Amino acid sequence: MAQVELRDVVKDYGSFLAVKSVSFTVKDGEFVALVGPSGCGKTTTLNLIAGLLDTTSGEIRIGDRKVDDLDPKDRDIAMVFQNYALYPNKTVHQNLGFPLKMRKLPRKEIDEKVRAAAGLLDITHLLERRPRELSGGQQQRVALGRALVRDPQVFLMDEPLSNLDAKLRVQMRAELKRFHQDLNATVIYVTHDQLEAMTMADRIAVMEGGILQQFDTPERVFEEPNNLFVAGFVGSPAMNLVEASLNRDADAFVVESDGWSLPLDAVNSRRAAQATGPDIVLGARHSTMALHHEPAAGRVEGRVYTVEPTGDLTYAHVYLGKSIVVVSADPQTRIKPDETVWISFDQSRLHLFDARTKQRLLPE
Amino acid sequence: MSVRRRGGGWSLTGWIFLVFLLLYAALPMVWMLITSVQSQFAAIQYPPEFIPSNPTLEQYARLLSPSSEIGGQFLRYMWNSIYVSTLTTIFGVGVAVPAAYAFSRFRFPGRNALFFSVLFRNMFPAVVFLMPLFIMMRWFGLVNTHASLVITYLTFGLPLSIWLLKGFYDNIPVELEQAARIDGCTRFQAFWMIVMPLSTPGIIATAIFSFITAWNEYVYALTFLNSDEKLTLPVGLQRFFTEYATNWPGLMAASFIMSVPVVVMFLVLQKYFVRALTEGAVKA
Repeated sequence: MAQVELRDVVKDYGSFLAVKSVSFTVKDGEFVALVGPSGCGKTTTLNLIAGLLDTTSGEIRIGDRKVDDLDPKDRDIAMVFQNYALYPNKTVHQNLGFPLKMRKLPRKEIDEKVRAAAGLLDITHLLERRPRELSGGQQQRVALGRALVRDPQVFLMDEPLSNLDAKLRVQMRAELKRFHQDLNATVIYVTHDQLEAMTMADRIAVMEGGILQQFDTPERVFEEPNNLFVAGFVGSPAMNLVEASLNRDADAFVVESDGWSLPLDAVNSRRAAQATGPDIVLGARHSTMALHHEPAAGRVEGRVYTVEPTGDLTYAHVYLGKSIVVVSADPQTRIKPDETVWISFDQSRLHLFDARTKQRLLPE
Repeated sequence: MSVRRRGGGWSLTGWIFLVFLLLYAALPMVWMLITSVQSQFAAIQYPPEFIPSNPTLEQYARLLSPSSEIGGQFLRYMWNSIYVSTLTTIFGVGVAVPAAYAFSRFRFPGRNALFFSVLFRNMFPAVVFLMPLFIMMRWFGLVNTHASLVITYLTFGLPLSIWLLKGFYDNIPVELEQAARIDGCTRFQAFWMIVMPLSTPGIIATAIFSFITAWNEYVYALTFLNSDEKLTLPVGLQRFFTEYATNWPGLMAASFIMSVPVVVMFLVLQKYFVRALTEGAVKA
C-alpha cells in the first residue's frame, strides 16, 4: 500500500475546465471519499489518478513514484467500477485471474490467488459462472475480488454501491469498510452520496465545480464546513441556511431578517466582525435548534408549515419570516401545522457565512 | 424458458401471414430447382410439369465438370466471384472495424461531419455513380480489372458496415476497456482481448453483408469488365446463356449453384445477422 499525492492537478477539456488545480494527499492505508454532486469533477479526478485520462498540468504521485506519464497498467492500482465492468465472456474465475494472467504469473499461482480472493469474498461457489448469471450483489463481489487479487498499491472505487438496492447497499457498505480495516488498504472512493462518504471514509474530499472545497475528517466536514456549499451538501436533512443581515448593537451583533432578529453571543459576535459586509447567511442544523411553545429571550418566533414524523425524530418545517427551516423534535412533542412556535439556537454550533465570499466566518 | 400459449386468433392470422411470406420467398427458389432438373423439352412444355417425371442432374454435371467447355467457363466465373467477394469482405471488414471503433470511442474534431459524410453516399442510388466511377477507373487504368470492382464495392459497402459496427461498439461499455487497461492491458490489447471477442457477432454480420452485396452485384460488373476471362457470376450467367439460345434448365441450375454459398452462409450465421440488426434496439 502507498500514499497518493495530487499537486495542483488540472484537467482542461478545452471547452470546459473539469478539475481546477486540485491538491491533496491520501495517506498510506487511508480511506478517502471524493464526494460532490454530478459534474463536480470527482470521477474525472479518479480517472486522472487511474491514468485513464491525462492531466493537463500538475503532478500525481503514488508512493514515491511520479505516475503522470505511466499507463494505467503500470501504476499498480486496481479499480472497481459502478457497472462492475466484468468481462461478460469470461467466467468468474477468468475474470478474477485476468489481471494476474496479464502479469504473466504461472497458472498454478493464479489459481491459488483467485481461490484465496474468492474465499475471502465468499464467492468460491460462483467461480465457474459467467457474470450475467450472477445477482447484482454477487457481481459487486466479483468486481471487488478482481481488484483484490492483485494486491495493488491503491484501490480506486467509482460509485461501486450505487447500482445495488438500498438494503444490499447498507450491507456492502459495512463489508467494504471492514475490508478496508482488515487489509489496511489505501482506498480512494468516489460517491455522490454524502452519507456513504460520512459513514465509510477516514477523510472526505468535497468537490464542486472542479474545485476541492474541503478535505477533512467526516466530523469536521460536518461540524465545521468551510463554506456554504459544503454546509449545504453534507448532512441529511441539509443544514438550514437563512439569508440575513448583521446589525451592530454596542459590542455585540444582532442578526436580522424579515420580521425577526437574533442577538449573537460573544463568540459569534467576534465571528460576525470578520464579515466583509452586512449580508450574511445563518447556518444551523436541525439538531442544534429546539422548538418551544412560549417566547423567551434568544428565541425566534415562527409558524409551523408541516410536520414529518419519522419514528425516531419528528421534523418540523417552520416558517422563519419568509424562509422555511427544518427543526427536529422529540416524537412526543405536540405540534400542529399553522401553530406559532418559538425556536431557540445552540449558539456554540451556529454558523455564520459571508454572503459575498460564501466562506464560513471564523473568530479572528 | 417459459412456455406460454398465445391467443388462438392472433396465432391463426400470424400463421397465415407467415405461410404467405414463406411461399412468396420460397416459390421462386422451388421453381428454379424444379426447372433445373428437367430436360430442355420438359421445361418449356405447357401446362408445366410441377413434379418432374424424368428428373436429371445432367445440367449440374455439365456445369461442374471443369473439362467441358461450359463447365470450365462457369467455374471460372464462379472463381472470379469468390475472389472479388472475398477480397471485398476482407478489406471491408479490415477498414470498417477500426473506423467504427474510432467513431464510437474517440472524440476528435470533425467527428460528426465525417460520420455523416460517410453516410452521405447512401443518399444516392448506386447507378448515379456508374459513369463517374467508370471514368475514374479509366484514369487509373483499372477498367477490366477485379480491383475496380473491389474498390467500387468498398465505396458502397463500407458506410453501412461502419454504421452497423459502430452500433456494436457503442453497446460495449467503455468501462470494460478501462478495467482491462488497469488490469494490465495496453490500449491495443484491451481492444484486441476484450472488445474484439465481444464484437464478433457484429463483425460476422458485417462480413456476410459485404460478401453478399459483392456476390450479387450486376450493373458495375457488367460495365467495368469486358473480357470473358474476368467476368463474375451474375454477368457471366447472363452472357453465357444468351449466346447459346436459352437453355432454361441450364440457367436455373447455374442460378441455383450461385445461390448456394449465400444461402448456406446465411443459414449458418443468421443468428449473428439478426443480432446485429437488432442490437441497440433491446437492452441486454
